[in-house]
Amino acid sequence: MAAVRQHQQHRLPFRYRDRLMAWHAPPWRLMNAAERRRYWWGHWRLAVPFATTLLLMLAMTAPLLVPAPVFPHVALLGLFVWTTFQPGLMPPWLAFVLGMVADLLFAQPLGINATLFAGTAGFVRLFEARYGHHAHGFDWAVAAAIVIVFEAATWVLMGVGGQPIPLLPLGWQALTTMVAYPVVVALCARVQRVAFGPGVTP
Amino acid sequence: MDWTPPPRRSTAMRREQNLALVSAVVSGAVIATGLLLIVIGRVNPDGAARMRGFMLDLVTPVWSVVRAPFDGVGRAADWANDYAGAVDRNRRLEAELGAARAELQRAAADRRVLTTLKRLDKLAEPTRTLISTARIVSATSGSVVRSAMVAAGRRDGVIPGLPVIGADGLIGRTIEAGSISARVLLLTDPASRIPVIIERTGQVALVVGTNRPALEMRDKVGADLPLRAGDRLVTSGDGGVFPPGIPVGTIIDPQEPVLVRPAAHPVGAAYVRIEAAYMAIAQDAALPHYDAPVPIEARRSGGGSPAPATPPPVPLP
Repeated sequence: MAAVRQHQQHRLPFRYRDRLMAWHAPPWRLMNAAERRRYWWGHWRLAVPFATTLLLMLAMTAPLLVPAPVFPHVALLGLFVWTTFQPGLMPPWLAFVLGMVADLLFAQPLGINATLFAGTAGFVRLFEARYGHHAHGFDWAVAAAIVIVFEAATWVLMGVGGQPIPLLPLGWQALTTMVAYPVVVALCARVQRVAFGPGVTP
Repeated sequence: MDWTPPPRRSTAMRREQNLALVSAVVSGAVIATGLLLIVIGRVNPDGAARMRGFMLDLVTPVWSVVRAPFDGVGRAADWANDYAGAVDRNRRLEAELGAARAELQRAAADRRVLTTLKRLDKLAEPTRTLISTARIVSATSGSVVRSAMVAAGRRDGVIPGLPVIGADGLIGRTIEAGSISARVLLLTDPASRIPVIIERTGQVALVVGTNRPALEMRDKVGADLPLRAGDRLVTSGDGGVFPPGIPVGTIIDPQEPVLVRPAAHPVGAAYVRIEAAYMAIAQDAALPHYDAPVPIEARRSGGGSPAPATPPPVPLP
């Protein structure tokens, strides 16, 4: 029984807070220079969800040989996945920062992705707290619904921002994004296991 | 006893609840800020454009480094292809060369006649000025905005509103410029409008992006001549940005809406020319001077309105 519980504990989503180095570190004045350096660099995991999502976003601006605008919105998927994996490390304000970067990168009016990313992170947080049970199919369905609402809201807000765009390409992007979900979730899960997985000591 | 003791909240619970409250407030504030930014961006587009230019400078160098190995692989593949199909291509080209020589002779004669006519008419033509040759380092493939980044910016003289031309035809125009990089609005973007002329019929029209691979031709001016698939469109030079005669695309579907395949693909282009606007229209030329001093005669007569200006003398032909 105990063995089973221990096994299950490994399967539980790992919360970074439990292993935050600051909570186990000796007082600042008692550390020497090397220990302090190690202490500060030990916080790199805090930036892992942000950095992964940022890299996914950069991948969206890659010069690819696709004539049609069908590249999936992998940054949105990354945001969703990390909000479910590490809610504490992907708060809405960080999603807002990511959204600002997205606006600047994709040449959209400032604030569109910022609003929508922050809204997405907040929604996923509330939703996970109430209904989340991390079954793959369930998460996929939730992600699909979020993608559809996101693209529709993009269309509306682009009109508000003064750059109206046609709806059809957004529909195609929503479709490809839904299809791309398993790939992004597999990628982020890999990163999650390396950075936060069992056996990792901060 | 029906009295229940009040729930005792531990410090940790209270802390959790306070944190939840703070995070809810912060989330709401952040979303409100985002909405506010959209409105501000609409009111003050210049500030937003400057910020985007700064961001562009940060990202473009990253992509030019990341892209280098891919370019190398592509070039190697091109070389391999060149060797594989050399004989076939040589025969085909020799056959084409004969036809091209005859065409060239006719064109040389035409050019001589045209030069003479222009000299007779004292026709002044603006010249095309190359500002910079730069490589396209990235192109967004999302479905909101179709734009590309080029590695040349204000330091090289690139400003917003310049034509960008590839080897095969028109790529687009610059919309934002940082100090070492600029953003190009591609033909496929819904905000793109290119004044074109249909080579076969000489009619003028607009080519509009729809965020799909094919462009649309709209607002054709002139007699209702039937279009054909394969009609070539070139820039007309109207509007003063794009020089005339740059290939824009080929009509692939003459039925309404008329679909056009672009002549140049921004990703295959690799290197592009950024030229000066063909006939730049001065921004402040048309503005009236509201603070011009009122003439003394007008002040004496008591009226503030100036006398009607005499029309400029019309030059005789």
